[in-house]
Amino acid sequence: MGGVVRGSGRPARALVVLCALVLVAATAEIVLDGAVGHSPLIPKQPEIAGWLGGIGERLGYRVFLIALLAFTGAYAVMLGLARRVSKRWAIVLVGVLQLIVFAGPILISTDVFSYIAYARMGVEHALNPYTHGPSAIMHDPVYPYVGKDWKHVATAYGPLYTLLSYPLAPLGLKGAVWGMKLEALFASAGTLALTWRCARAREIDPVGALLAVGANPLWVIYGLGGAHNDLIMTLFMMAAVVLMLAGRSAPAGASVVAGALVKATGAALLPFMILSSRRLAPILGALGALALGALIGYAVWGIHGIDVVAALNRDAAFVSTDSFPTEIAHLVGKPGVFPIDHDLLKGALVVIVVYLLWRTWRGYDWIAASGWTLLAISVTSTWLLPWYTLWSLPLAVIARDRRLLVATLAVQALFIVHQISPLLVPVS
Amino acid sequence: MSRGRLIETTLLILAGLLLAIATVNDVVEQTHVNHRLIADLRTWRSYTGHDYRNLSIEQDLYGHTTRDVICGNTTPGGPKERVQLCLRMTGPVVRGARAAGGGWYLPPKVEDVPSLRYGCFGEAKSAGLCGPAARGSESPEGSSAEAGQ
Repeated sequence: MGGVVRGSGRPARALVVLCALVLVAATAEIVLDGAVGHSPLIPKQPEIAGWLGGIGERLGYRVFLIALLAFTGAYAVMLGLARRVSKRWAIVLVGVLQLIVFAGPILISTDVFSYIAYARMGVEHALNPYTHGPSAIMHDPVYPYVGKDWKHVATAYGPLYTLLSYPLAPLGLKGAVWGMKLEALFASAGTLALTWRCARAREIDPVGALLAVGANPLWVIYGLGGAHNDLIMTLFMMAAVVLMLAGRSAPAGASVVAGALVKATGAALLPFMILSSRRLAPILGALGALALGALIGYAVWGIHGIDVVAALNRDAAFVSTDSFPTEIAHLVGKPGVFPIDHDLLKGALVVIVVYLLWRTWRGYDWIAASGWTLLAISVTSTWLLPWYTLWSLPLAVIARDRRLLVATLAVQALFIVHQISPLLVPVS
Repeated sequence: MSRGRLIETTLLILAGLLLAIATVNDVVEQTHVNHRLIADLRTWRSYTGHDYRNLSIEQDLYGHTTRDVICGNTTPGGPKERVQLCLRMTGPVVRGARAAGGGWYLPPKVEDVPSLRYGCFGEAKSAGLCGPAARGSESPEGSSAEAGQ
C-alpha cells in the first residue's frame, strides 16, 4: 500500500484505501446488479452486459440508493483527503471506476437509444433527425428502446454531435451501443486529462481536481453510466480552456463553438472568454467554427439542422420532478411550475448572466463566471436531469473562486437527497 | 473579504438555503405520499382478498385531498387484462390502512375514464362518478403509477 498517500500518516492511508474500496464496491454493486436487468433503474436494452448477469441480483431502489449514498459519502471523505492521495493512486482509482461502468449495462436513462435512433434515421433510413422523431422508424430494432417521452421528438443535439453519431449507425444495435459507450468513455477520459492539465497550469492541486470530477458519483453513475453526450460537450469545453490558458485564443473560441455544436449549452463560455481576453482572436475562431458548422449542418439537414433556438425553446418548456423550480413550487403550495414561472426563471437567468459579464469585464475569473452560468442554467431549468449538474464541475475544480466548487457540489448533493424517499418509505 | 464578495456570498447562502428547504420539503411530501400509497395497496388487497401486485394507482399528490384511486384485476391475469375493481380511498392512514368510501368497475384493457366506469357503489355512486353522465373525472390530478411489478 506504499505510495497510496503523499507524505506520511497511517490513519490517512487507511482512510484513503477504505474510501477507494467503498467507491469501487458501490460502483460494482450497481453495475453487477444492473446487468441482471428487469429493474426500474435499468432501461430496457439489448443484452450488452449479459456476461455479468449471473453475479448480482435485480437492482432495486433500496440497494441503488444505499450504494449511491455510500459512494457519495466516500467521495466526500476522499475529497477532504485529496491532498494526501498520491498521483498514481488517484489515476488508478478513477480509471477503475470508469472501466467498471463502461463494462456494464446502460444505467438510469434511455437517452443513448435516442442518440442511436437519430443516427439510424439519417444513415439507414435517409430521414432527417431534425424534422422527424424516432416514431418515423417504428420498425427499426432501436425503436423499442427509445424512451416513451422521446418517440415523437426530433433531435435537440447539435450538428457536430449528430455527425459524430452517424458512423455508429451501421454497426447494428449492440455495436452502436458499445460505440456510444466508447465515445462517452473517451470523452470522460479526455475531459479528466484536460482538467488535470488546466489545474496544473493554474497551480491548483491536479490530484484533487481529478478526484473531484472523475470520482464524482453523478459523473460516474449517471453521466458515464448513461453514456451521455454531455461528456463530449465538456471535452470541447475543457479543450477550449486549455487552449485559452496556452494563449491560443482563436482555436479556443472554435473549441467552445464545437462544444455548442454538440449541445448548445456549451456556448455559455464564449462571452466570458471574449470579455476576458479583450481580443478579436476568440471571436474570429468562434465565427469560423460557427460558419463551418452551419454550412455542414445546412448542407446535410437543411435549415432545421442549424435551428438551435427552436430546439432550446422546446426543451425549455419541459418540466421534471427533480428540477429546483418544481420543488420551490411545491414548497409554496403549487402543484408545479406555470408558464409565467418559465418567464420569471429566464429573467432571473438573464440577470445572473449580465452580472457575471459585468464582473468578468471588471477582472473576475472568466472560467469561474462560465461555471456559475452553467450552474445557474441547471438550477433555473425546469427540466433538470442529473447529468446537467455535471456541466459546471470541471470548470469549478479549476476556478479561482472556490465558492463555485462548493455550490456545484451542494447542488449535486441536493439532487441526491431528492432521490432518497424510496429509501425512507419503500413501496412494495 | 470585500463588500461585494460578502453580498455575493450572502445571496448564495440564501439561495442555497431556499433550495435545501425546497428539496427537504419535497422529500418529506414524497415520503408521506409513499406512506399513503402503501396503506392504499394494503387496503385494496384487504378489501378484495386478492394479494395482487399489479395494481394501478392514481394519487392526488398536490391537491391536498388525500383522495387516491386504486384499480386491480378481479381475477388473476396481466395488468388491466381482466375486469378491474377500483376503490376510492380517502382520509388518514389508521393502523396501516385507509377507508375505502366507494368505487366502481372497469372493463378489461381500459384506463380509468368516467364514461367507461360501471357498477358504482358507496360514495362514488352518490357522487355520480360512473357512466356517460359522470361529472368530470374526480380522478386525482397527481401521478399514476404501477406498483410492484
